[in-house]
Amino acid sequence: MDIKEYIQSGVIESYVLGLADPAEVAELQKLRLQHPEIQQAITDFELSLENSAAANAVPVPPDVKAKIFSELLLNSPKEQQAAVAPVVEMKDAVVNRYSFLRKVAAAAIVLLLGSAALNVYYISKYRSVAKENADLIAERSSMYVQKDVYDTRMREMENDFRMLADTSMIKVDLSGTGIPGKGGNSAIVFWKQDTKDVYIAGNKLPPPPSGKQYQLWALLDGKPIDAGMIGDCATICKLKNIPAAQQFAITLENTGGSPTPDLSQLMVIGKVGG
Amino acid sequence: MKAIERYSEEQLIIMLKQHDQTAFSYLYDNYSASLYGAIVAILPDVESAPDVLQEVFVKIWKQISAYDDSKGRLFTWMLTIARNTAIDTMRSKSWKNNKRNNELTEDLITGGVTASPNTDTIGLRKIVHSLREEYRVLVELSYFEGHTQDEISRKLGIPIGTVKTRLRKAIAELGTMIKM
Repeated sequence: MDIKEYIQSGVIESYVLGLADPAEVAELQKLRLQHPEIQQAITDFELSLENSAAANAVPVPPDVKAKIFSELLLNSPKEQQAAVAPVVEMKDAVVNRYSFLRKVAAAAIVLLLGSAALNVYYISKYRSVAKENADLIAERSSMYVQKDVYDTRMREMENDFRMLADTSMIKVDLSGTGIPGKGGNSAIVFWKQDTKDVYIAGNKLPPPPSGKQYQLWALLDGKPIDAGMIGDCATICKLKNIPAAQQFAITLENTGGSPTPDLSQLMVIGKVGG
Repeated sequence: MKAIERYSEEQLIIMLKQHDQTAFSYLYDNYSASLYGAIVAILPDVESAPDVLQEVFVKIWKQISAYDDSKGRLFTWMLTIARNTAIDTMRSKSWKNNKRNNELTEDLITGGVTASPNTDTIGLRKIVHSLREEYRVLVELSYFEGHTQDEISRKLGIPIGTVKTRLRKAIAELGTMIKM
């Protein structure tokens, strides 16, 4: 190959100007390594082109460099400080915005965690308060019931008191004194003279065995009259109406009572007006 | 030519490949006007030239790792980027104009070439304008408008072989003129 002819063919200039086709480029790349004069010719033309471009340089508008640095987000070169000031501001703004967003995100996370913790606290608090409230409602209901009981009992006692305070009421003390083994027993019979109703109160009798019940008797001229069975009265029990009697007595009888008293089971006895 | 005063080309390339901003600033200060001249020579309107230069330097910064100094000098590489970017811009504008005016691409190309040499052409293009007409048209179409030899052959109705040899001679002559 005639190297000189190759160099003068224009292929080198085509290559440097970017007009050579791929085959020409490949050939030249190979030849430049083998022939220093081809390498030299290439470099020479490159330098000529570079010099020519420099000779035909056109002043660039002053703001272009700042725009490039801005687009690439590079720090401004010192000599361009004033021109690229906006670049610095932009970077700062971006940094500030990120740091601000990070702060906001951090604050949001803290708030979220705080809120979650408060939720847990309030749920447990709510549960304990709800339970307390339910307990209080139950307690109040039981107190209402208890109050009703007391009210009832108080009304009964008022009635009893009014009854006992009645001037027509006479009191008959029944006692176990004189009856063997019954010395500690006692009971009080109230007998309303206008209505002839009989009441019993203040029993000091042992609890009756199962299947047994105390029975009150009125004695008129030595004859026993059934005055009624003594049940579980809270205060005073109203028994039967007895028109006339000289004595009252209580015996232990089978549940439901007997037509005649079992005198072996006499618990207490007392005389009217005695 | 502004000689490299502070860095050798080797040093500059190493620094640029490391994305050294000082080196990039230095590169801009030393070569932007040369490249701007080449861009202005290609573009039909000067208004878009600053944007093209900006694009060129952004590409240089981003593509510096692709630069291979065994294929040519740094300036040659940058000049190729400038030329391609300018032609791309011109073409996208021609395409838009073409669409708007409903004109044929052929008319546009032929019009650009056959128009009488612009009196205010500069730089390399000015040198090209001093070539004889049959060479000038080929260099215009290939170098300044970026057409392939195949395209030129079709547009001008000249056999591809003729285009190839004639363009080679034209460029050889252009090279001689540039070296002077």
